[in-house]
Amino acid sequence: MALRASALETGQAADLEVATGRAGGDGNVESGAFLVTLAEAVARWRWDEVAALREEGRARLGAQQTSDAILVASGFNGITRVADAIGIRLDQRTADASADFRDSVGISAFAPEEKWQG
Amino acid sequence: MTAALPVADSTVEAHDATRRAFARPGAWWDGADRLRIVVETRNAHDPDLGAEKPEALTGDLPPIAVEAIHGIRNDSGRLTRRWFDELIDMGLQPEAYVELVSVASSSVIVDTFAQGIGRGLPELPDPEPGAPTFERSDDVVDAGAWLPIKREGRANILRSLGLVPSALKLFFDTFNTSYYMRPNAAFSISRPQVELVASRVSAVNECFY
Repeated sequence: MALRASALETGQAADLEVATGRAGGDGNVESGAFLVTLAEAVARWRWDEVAALREEGRARLGAQQTSDAILVASGFNGITRVADAIGIRLDQRTADASADFRDSVGISAFAPEEKWQG
Repeated sequence: MTAALPVADSTVEAHDATRRAFARPGAWWDGADRLRIVVETRNAHDPDLGAEKPEALTGDLPPIAVEAIHGIRNDSGRLTRRWFDELIDMGLQPEAYVELVSVASSSVIVDTFAQGIGRGLPELPDPEPGAPTFERSDDVVDAGAWLPIKREGRANILRSLGLVPSALKLFFDTFNTSYYMRPNAAFSISRPQVELVASRVSAVNECFY
């Protein structure tokens, strides 16, 4: 949902299916394919791969830019765990922001009803 | 070995503060137990990482806490209400669970970033003495989550750890530099790039939120 919101802000139509792995390419985001690969390697703690991507990132994006991408990935590696471990429901604000693409990109599949069944 | 990437001062300060906070008594766990939660979070991913801990840190967490940590660290996208209820039925107090989630998830952020930029796993301080405060907020509401969450807030994720206010603060003090949480937040990559990275990590972790 955040990706769509930012795309609207910038007028840049980002392709969310890149983030969910349903499509390849840059997703209309500069260096999108590289960032998706880096984000996944960081989230999965594949440090040998991250070491190589760090160097590629220095050359492709810049050192501070690569560091910031890893910072964002690190933060979301934590906050996704909070969301899933507390079993929070989707709030109206977030649901409204993501309603038109939630099913199409597969996010809804991550929330089977059994998640909340006692 | 290549040089580590640069880090903004605000992030260094936030993550250092979080590591120090791990060692202090919390609301439902003392400083030693909070550090044990961090060590077990590392151990859940890789026992070699969990083997490195402060010499002063002896003893073990209750097995039920270890079970909770392994689920949160390794399979968070598949956690269910039934899994949570079993933890509570086996004696883990809901408030202690909330603080455990906060400490474990904060440590994931700090450790992921330090390793990601090439600085290696951060050292942990020795535990500070003192007893937990047993703080619990009454300003909570049933909003369909597994636990009561903070009554007010812009989004459920910002209310999620509200049963234990210090746990909520610890986590978001750690997370804040990773996203547009502050009015002056800025990154050297564009907003669409930030959102793409965030979305990819959410998808990898199978998080619906």
